[in-house]
Amino acid sequence: MAGTHSALRVLDVSKSFGGVRAIRNVSLEIAAGERISVIGTNGAGKSTLFNAVAGVFAVTSGTIELFGETVTKLSTATRAKRGLARTFQTSRLFEQLTAADNVFIALGGNEYTGGLLRLARRNPQRWASVERLLDRVGLEGRGRQQVADLSHGEQRQLELAMALALQPKLLMLDEPAAGFSPAERGKLITLLRELPQEITLLLIEHDMDIALAVASRVIVMHDGEKILEGTPDQIRNSERVREIYLGGSIDHAA
Amino acid sequence: MTKLVEFTRTRRSGLSRYIWILWIAALGAAIVFPFVVDRPRFWLPNIGVRSLWLGIIAMSLVFLNRYIGLLSLAQATIAGISAYGVGYMMVTRGQGFFVAVPVGILAGTLAGFLVALIAARTKAIYFLMITLALGQVFYSYASQAIEVTNARRGLAPIIKPNLGFIDLGTITSFYYFALALAVICYLLCRFVAATTFGLALQGIRDSPERMSALGYKINRYRIAAITFAAFIASIGGVVLVFDRAQVDPNVVSLGSTLDILVVAVIGGIGSLGGVFIGAIIVTMLDNFAQDFTDRYMTLTGIVFIIVLLFAPAGIGGIGKQARRVIDRRRKDTTPAVMESPQQEPSAALPTDEAITKGKQQ
Repeated sequence: MAGTHSALRVLDVSKSFGGVRAIRNVSLEIAAGERISVIGTNGAGKSTLFNAVAGVFAVTSGTIELFGETVTKLSTATRAKRGLARTFQTSRLFEQLTAADNVFIALGGNEYTGGLLRLARRNPQRWASVERLLDRVGLEGRGRQQVADLSHGEQRQLELAMALALQPKLLMLDEPAAGFSPAERGKLITLLRELPQEITLLLIEHDMDIALAVASRVIVMHDGEKILEGTPDQIRNSERVREIYLGGSIDHAA
Repeated sequence: MTKLVEFTRTRRSGLSRYIWILWIAALGAAIVFPFVVDRPRFWLPNIGVRSLWLGIIAMSLVFLNRYIGLLSLAQATIAGISAYGVGYMMVTRGQGFFVAVPVGILAGTLAGFLVALIAARTKAIYFLMITLALGQVFYSYASQAIEVTNARRGLAPIIKPNLGFIDLGTITSFYYFALALAVICYLLCRFVAATTFGLALQGIRDSPERMSALGYKINRYRIAAITFAAFIASIGGVVLVFDRAQVDPNVVSLGSTLDILVVAVIGGIGSLGGVFIGAIIVTMLDNFAQDFTDRYMTLTGIVFIIVLLFAPAGIGGIGKQARRVIDRRRKDTTPAVMESPQQEPSAALPTDEAITKGKQQ
């Protein structure tokens, strides 16, 4: 894992909200093209880590590097331009617009000045991309629906289409399967496995099945710290993980 | 390719496909208006022109509310600054129409840009309060700066000029002048809303966090939108100043700000064209209610409340409201749409939408 090939490097990052230390001295490194899952129970600090990397808030201490460049102080928008795309755990879609409009806007995040004052509907190339992306995530023919009329599952699919619209180098998904039916989970796993190899994936997931099925390496967080890292098989067989997920951690609390 | 056409063409559905007929009718009525009223000397300035500039200024407010979800109370002030710009150039500097009007519009637009720099980072109630406060700052400036605004006495007379090809001094041609500007402003707003830029604004309205995550610098978009709205309001200010033939602090007072807000809400805070209906209702109440009651302000208030109760999206939003009801009826009766039963109504509370969505931000 040489520095130049790492997609993301988190060095000794901590974040406190008031007196609460949400994450403590977390370090991790993800090589370009790797598939990583971060798992952990509620309140383990997964989402805080995720938001710190995305740049939603400033970290209390530590450094974050994207593609070999320090981005600790850069804005969310700038990080997005460097090739980072994320989804949101609770839907933050453009509710009053159609699914197609949502993706159309997402595609605009990359091109900045080009044709801002051109009528949106006179942009056949971009609409063609919209269509391709909708097809890719399984929303064929749903483009004209208002977001409010989409089912929960479809909204999650739309989330993914919008993240992919940025043609990200690093794709971060925040619990993409939350509220999914088993059938939808299956579809999501297939979709994630089919992502082009050059996309680095960082997945935060509550659901062990998906986390382990998609990732080549799994990071376990607990109480704001990274406590374990390993292959899906190692994690599956870990006594410690079972303890955390089933019984809480009596030893750690002391 | 077929699908693509579908995307773009069927965004307007059902009744709204025929809305242009309504627009042609309204425009036709506005054009023949001077010839059908009994007392043009009363109707054209007091109802016609006044409704037009009230409508233009309120439209700039509605544009901001509808497309970036911010309620600005600075629009009357911005129009007033434009009016002061015209007044200053004509009265104090003795300049002609073709210098004074661009200066006025520039002054108003620039003022809007400055307001945007200060207010664009805030949202909801804070944006509202900041724009209100800035408006009040200008009000007290206008009431005191003798050299520039001539304080409370204001700048007068601002005479409607004869431009050669059109004599704005006659009431009919001035009415058409105002009507033309109103139509241009409306089309401009519609155009901007339909551009890639306009779509991005709607994205910012619905989810600023998402837009940042997509790489948009949302503040720049907000500033651009507020400046554009200021440009529209400034055009309203030009019509206003020639209509009143003078400009004084009253133009930028809290009362004027509230007038604009009332017009916008009655017309429909989400409907660009609806503001003109709101403006007509307000000017009619202003002019006629006095004939049969002393409490015409109370009457305006009552109309305001009735609109909020029964058509929260305003008069201009009634069509949409009705369509939602019809659509829902249809959904209930047509089995074809039953494929996805989990997507049921609660999501679509049509009437509150326009206002709450705007304010949620």
